[in-house]
Amino acid sequence: MTDASTGTGNVDQKLKEAYFTASQGQLIWARFKKQKAAMVGAWVLIFLILSGLFAPFLTPYDPTISGRDKDYLNGAPQIPKFWDENGFSARPFIYTTTRERSIKTNFRWVSKTDREARRYVVMFPKGDPYKMFGMSFDRHLFGADVGYIHLFGTDSTGKDIFSRTFHAINTSMAVGTIGVLIAFVLALLIGGISGYFGGWIDSVLQMITDTVRTVPAIPLFMALAAFIPDTWSAEERFFFISIILGFIGWPTLARRVRTHLLTERNQEYVLAAQLCGASPPHIIRKHLLPSFTSYIIVDLVISFPYMVLSETALSFIGLGLKDPVNSLGVMLQNVTSADVLLNYQWYFIPVIFFITLVLAFVFVGDGLRDAADPYADTKK
Amino acid sequence: MLHFARFVAVRAGLAVMTLVLVSFIVFSLMELVPGDCAERYVAFKNSQGSVITPEDIQIERVRLGLDKPYIQRWGSWIINAFRGEFGDSCILRLNISQLLGQKFWLSLGLCLSALILAYIIAIPVGIIAATSKNATLNNSLRLVSYLGLALPNFLLALMIMLFSTVMYGDSLTGLFSKEFRDAAWSWARVWDFLGHAWLPVFILGWSATAFAIQTVRALMSDEVGKLYVTAAAARGVSGRQLLWRYPARHALGPIINSLGFDLNRIFNELPIVALILTLTEAGSLLIESLARSNDQQLAGAIIFMLTASIVGLNFITDVILAITDPRVRRSIMG
Repeated sequence: MTDASTGTGNVDQKLKEAYFTASQGQLIWARFKKQKAAMVGAWVLIFLILSGLFAPFLTPYDPTISGRDKDYLNGAPQIPKFWDENGFSARPFIYTTTRERSIKTNFRWVSKTDREARRYVVMFPKGDPYKMFGMSFDRHLFGADVGYIHLFGTDSTGKDIFSRTFHAINTSMAVGTIGVLIAFVLALLIGGISGYFGGWIDSVLQMITDTVRTVPAIPLFMALAAFIPDTWSAEERFFFISIILGFIGWPTLARRVRTHLLTERNQEYVLAAQLCGASPPHIIRKHLLPSFTSYIIVDLVISFPYMVLSETALSFIGLGLKDPVNSLGVMLQNVTSADVLLNYQWYFIPVIFFITLVLAFVFVGDGLRDAADPYADTKK
Repeated sequence: MLHFARFVAVRAGLAVMTLVLVSFIVFSLMELVPGDCAERYVAFKNSQGSVITPEDIQIERVRLGLDKPYIQRWGSWIINAFRGEFGDSCILRLNISQLLGQKFWLSLGLCLSALILAYIIAIPVGIIAATSKNATLNNSLRLVSYLGLALPNFLLALMIMLFSTVMYGDSLTGLFSKEFRDAAWSWARVWDFLGHAWLPVFILGWSATAFAIQTVRALMSDEVGKLYVTAAAARGVSGRQLLWRYPARHALGPIINSLGFDLNRIFNELPIVALILTLTEAGSLLIESLARSNDQQLAGAIIFMLTASIVGLNFITDVILAITDPRVRRSIMG
């Protein structure tokens, strides 16, 4: 009896101790775990990021023109089957499609599906060589024993949409990360200076920030992106677009940093540090910034999907990334034509992935924001 | 009254100053772009078959005033811009204000209607969401606003186009039917325009609405818990009257204040939506001037006018707030 009660007492004590000695990170994680939507979002996000990172392995073909299937242009998605009228197969299979142009077809390309010629799905076949983490490989997760397999169909040049989608996730994450980092550095610098020093420096910097915030960013940067010389390589373009995205994002972030610093800099611990002779950069770096790292992280996660979407928008109208690089925007470039809308709806499959990606980010960002707010529990 | 006039004058002065700063940013960015108007014009002539020498480019530069120092050109650009005069387009060789004129007002009209639509929906819905305890309602509203964020306007436009093409065989694009495209304004044309304009307004308003619902809801739930609301309820005010007369009025202040940024967000989406829906107004003209012909003069003019309308709206909302909100009024009157 007494044993049991002291036992629970100990557990309580331990729980309390764990709570009071927990680091900021542990507390946030504990609150974050409780939110179902955010957790689901987090899992989806991890899954998508991993599949983006391992895209070359997970997808059967090279996403550029070198991996194209010449015999299956604008091809419909091929869904692996286990049985048809010719019997059952333990191995999933697809059909062979051939293209033909002759006097019989009035000299137009006509594709024909041959239900007799099955192509079996095989695991770990040798395929297009690719590089991942600095090493070369040529094994892919799956493929067809003869010819090609296109789970999401192909586009007008015969590129595999499935492969392109996963590579595009990778590109979007990379663009978003660089963009967010640039925005972050700018925001810290400008918001930090403005919030720490206050006074006229703050007024001037705020006026500039507010002015930049008034200009509609995307049209402005469209104007800039439009003047990228055509001679630039895909990589140069990629970095330029990332930088542009960084410039779109900084003002909002800078404002939050500044507001926070303005309230924090009058706290006693800052005064103590100043009295000890610490220099302003030291105080900003060592004392003020750690006091709201969690908020900054949350802001970064929340602004991430906007970066991704801005890139998509820029690429979509042809001012962002260009063809050898894959991104959702690049893939959607030609979908507004009536031909695609009427006949090739599978061009839109990648959109589903991107809405999922953005939704996952929004859920995680929201969950993090609630989790990082120490008063979230008491408010409700 | 004098105080009020002074307040308006100060605000107007600030707005003009912002515009000057904006024009500097826009002008500088346009200047940073490689190549200038003279080169483009000459390159165009070149493609027409005439042989062009470096001297010709220099002559053209002098003619366009491009040889003058940077600050001087910016000065004349901004003075002309405030008079609504943006010079000639680099490529089209047409007067920009003539070229833009009606198209710009159409775009502005579309965007403002989208903004109004967003708040007509968001204010009641946001208030209900903040005050209702109904979990299903709250969750579904949350879902809608998440979708509003995750499904950006241009993807929504694409989806609607896909859907309508597959279902009805009509992609619902454009602002006018064929027979009205170049016709003079008449009732029939207005009617035709309205029949086409609802879709872009809806699409432009889509994420604005989602965003606005979230803002209204957050502001309202902050206000509803406050003591003055409890006090009013204790005095016997209840139901809709309680909400409208007390917390809603407080919550609306910040919303009016942020209208300018909402318009900014809508402008951000405008060019792309315009491209998808093939709207013939400033948004698509912007893309045209950027993507196809590298027309910096025209692009600068459009961006400047978009920003000017945001600054204008900010100014108007400031004045409205000063008139309607007694707290702001008191602080102005001293």
